[in-house]
Amino acid sequence: MMTDGNLQMFFTAKLLTSNAILPAGYVIRVHYQVIVMFFIACLMSITLLYMLIYLYFKSKHEKKHDKWRLISDLIIRKAIFSDEDDEIETETIIPVIDRAKKLMRNKHFRNLLTEEIMSAKKSISGTSADNLKHLYQQLSLEKYALKNLRSRYWHIKAKAIQELTVMEMNEFVTELYTYTNNQNELVRMEAQTAIVQFHGFEGLRFLDIITYPISDWQQIKLLQQLSHVPPANINIDAWLESANNSVVVFALKLARNYHRFELHDNILSCLDHQYPEIRLQAINCLCEIYTNETSDHLISRFLNENIKNQLTMVRAFQNIGSEKDIRFLSSLLASDNDEMRVCAARALAYSGKNGLASLEDHARVAGYPLNEMILQIKGELAA
Amino acid sequence: MKILVAEDDQLMLKMLEFRLKKDGHEVIVTHDGRQAVAKLDEFQPDLVITDIMMPYLSGLEVVGAVKRKYPHGTPVIILSGMGQENVVLEAFQLGADDYITKPFSPNELSVRVRRFDVSAVK
Amino acid sequence: MSWQTFILHIFTYGILLYSIIMMICYVLIGAFSVGETRSYLNKNSFTDYRVLASSTEAPSMSILAPAYNEAPSIVENVRSLLSLHYNNLEVIVINDGSKDDSLERLINAYDLYKVDFFVNHQLKTKPVRGVYKSRNPVYRKLVVADKENGGKADALNVGVNIATHDYFVCIDADCILEQDALLKLAKPFLENSTQRVIAAGGVVRIANGCEIEDGRLVKVNLPKQFLPRVQTIEYIRAFLLTRMAWTRLNGLLLISGAFGAFEREIVIKCGGYNSNIVGEDMELVVRMRRYMEESNEPYRVSFIPDPLCWTEAPATFKILGRQRNRWTRGTIETLRLHKKMFFNPRYGLLGMLSYPYWLFFEFLAPIVEFVGTVGLVIYCIAGSVNWAALLIMVGVISIGILYSIFAILMEVLTYNQYKQRKDILRLVLVAILEPIIFHPFVVWSAIRGNFDLLRKHNGWGEMTRQGFAGEKKL
Repeated sequence: MMTDGNLQMFFTAKLLTSNAILPAGYVIRVHYQVIVMFFIACLMSITLLYMLIYLYFKSKHEKKHDKWRLISDLIIRKAIFSDEDDEIETETIIPVIDRAKKLMRNKHFRNLLTEEIMSAKKSISGTSADNLKHLYQQLSLEKYALKNLRSRYWHIKAKAIQELTVMEMNEFVTELYTYTNNQNELVRMEAQTAIVQFHGFEGLRFLDIITYPISDWQQIKLLQQLSHVPPANINIDAWLESANNSVVVFALKLARNYHRFELHDNILSCLDHQYPEIRLQAINCLCEIYTNETSDHLISRFLNENIKNQLTMVRAFQNIGSEKDIRFLSSLLASDNDEMRVCAARALAYSGKNGLASLEDHARVAGYPLNEMILQIKGELAA
Repeated sequence: MKILVAEDDQLMLKMLEFRLKKDGHEVIVTHDGRQAVAKLDEFQPDLVITDIMMPYLSGLEVVGAVKRKYPHGTPVIILSGMGQENVVLEAFQLGADDYITKPFSPNELSVRVRRFDVSAVK
Repeated sequence: MSWQTFILHIFTYGILLYSIIMMICYVLIGAFSVGETRSYLNKNSFTDYRVLASSTEAPSMSILAPAYNEAPSIVENVRSLLSLHYNNLEVIVINDGSKDDSLERLINAYDLYKVDFFVNHQLKTKPVRGVYKSRNPVYRKLVVADKENGGKADALNVGVNIATHDYFVCIDADCILEQDALLKLAKPFLENSTQRVIAAGGVVRIANGCEIEDGRLVKVNLPKQFLPRVQTIEYIRAFLLTRMAWTRLNGLLLISGAFGAFEREIVIKCGGYNSNIVGEDMELVVRMRRYMEESNEPYRVSFIPDPLCWTEAPATFKILGRQRNRWTRGTIETLRLHKKMFFNPRYGLLGMLSYPYWLFFEFLAPIVEFVGTVGLVIYCIAGSVNWAALLIMVGVISIGILYSIFAILMEVLTYNQYKQRKDILRLVLVAILEPIIFHPFVVWSAIRGNFDLLRKHNGWGEMTRQGFAGEKKL
């Protein structure tokens, strides 16, 4: 082993061919390098040590985990089938073994059990689901969820909201409502989901007040959740004029999914909205809710639309097109956009007998590529 | 009745097994679609209960396989979280005999299973 | 001061400066990656992805799987693609003029028939011989296109032309996807309402040594051989650290050709895959970003760290060398095609940071390393051992090892795919060996790539003959 001083001498002696440019400088740098190397070595061993300790505890924990999982599975199974075993009232206490009761003080076990209860609750309904809810309350798990709800970390807060929602803890709904326009996206998403879970369509009233956009992901989640509750005739028209663009888009999706024919004219006015995504949704919506005149409205706006919305319109004609639109659709067969031509040809094929006939007329005279497109569409009709 | 259950969620599978056994059925559990199809010949079930979203083979493919093997026998109940119209329609088109959406009630499942029990209808 | 000393000084200090900047980059990448990974995990730890699986509102996706002479495995691979959890999906297999019986096997296995199909040539490609669909309703998602051989980029372009859905996911035919891969990959496209998400990349992991049955991953194992094992660390570093960090800055330039999702409309608008170069996957992302910058639309390229795609890594030096040679050529060609962006403020972060980083630390790094090492050796032979430079080198190598160990730590703390403690220790050991055994070879392959390109010794013809297995860009 060399001492530091030795090393310095060593370096100053051996450095470079020319003697003595910045010898002092080099001495300092050598020093510096030794320190840096030492520092790196330290960092490396710290990282390694940390990793090993972490892994050690993790594997220890995992062994325990497996045992806990068996215990919580047993508790849950007993809860789900508790009323059948003894034919007693649902209000009775679900048997929980003493060992589990002791374990309840352990945070990790509690989290595991909560997760298992939630996962079972999500796929089970009826009396068994009520039993799970009882089990949850009996173990006072909602107290911990409430504590997490007050956490200053948004992901813990959001997770707590989800937990209370899945377990149907209706009594906290007023508090959750205040979070529906929370500045954190995840928190407000879970809160909105919660309100819809508790109040169904009525719960959508948060759409009146929210100023933040609802992401497409959240819209999918909300629609999915609404599909589990009986449809109610709530007022959508105000949302169709909301200043929040995403609310308008969502309202259009609602109108389409629930076939709100009375909103036809309100939806038409969305066709003139300045935001292209709303116009696109309006076209999609009219595809389901249409009258005899709908196609005329679309045709009159066709030329001013962007290409994406034009294509969506032409696709919509597959549904809403009729004999009177044949001329319009035929004119599109001469478009220089091939995708437009395919869509127009397909829409023609679906526009009654005369549409198909006119398409066949075109097929007779048309060369490539129209003839190939028409063959494809005929194939699709036959399949 | 001999029932083959295919479901990838462990907890769910245990619940189903427990409940169906309590109802007096003979139950064999599989964790994915491929296992389920592989067990068909060996076990010769009277009824198949399957999830849709599973590893290897989806429940819809299980339906196809069962119906190809036993064109007139062995009913299939689908037990799935997917309740959308298009999925349900597809399942029935492929030959599924019943469709239960999650969240489901175990009591309801038990009654629906009994409908397919030929020996019980006396 | 004599001129030799002067040059020596420039040399030493230049390399020192370069190393210091690179170390700073390492530290920043580590920090950004930790931030991005943590917020991703916090956000998605309690997400129920199954909502997307059956929703009719889920974004429509097409999988593009180009295949060249993959007959032994193609039927199983397609089956595993068809069983992915996603309802709004079409699976497009592109047979790139295989010389074996790939197409016949597909036709028999899936009861396919040739349909009349008009191929919209929005992107120019080699001719399409036919499009096939299945008579069996179980396989309604499957479309098979048969085309003349033209290489991977050309095959993907055919897929883009045929696809009807809004997004497409390109994958290598020999890749193994997790069943919920598409659910996770689709989510980024739905999340952002202020920026348009034009592409999303996923992590690629190494499948060597893993248990695989019928095109499905059954059990994750650490590769047994040395080369794949080093690449395991390399991939963890590249995906878990570098890509995550760049995603945080919204400056990600590369989405792996083995697994990534793109918005079809934008891809068509900017001309699809470039079939004249070898690094078509990197080039496409750069071109898409450039297009978005030029059209002044706020956009984002997203990346998700979940291990979703598994692939076989080259296990011999010969194949590995060829792969790295190609990657180098791909990088250079891409940088050359888009040199306009270099420190061009018009392209924002893309021009001021992403592009220069790639130029200096992806393209130049092997050259600097090579020149530095050779220079050092020459001086040593000349009799004047430059201890300062040697020490710098040792320092750089140790920091490199530290960085690898940090990457392993990130993996352990996040996804922890290698469960046994022994495996982690093995990985650390390999991380220490990497700079001595593996890295010099990679640098050498990169240098050869540079020379090959200089000599116009391009492998375009060779590419179509070899197919694309084992040639994917990290």
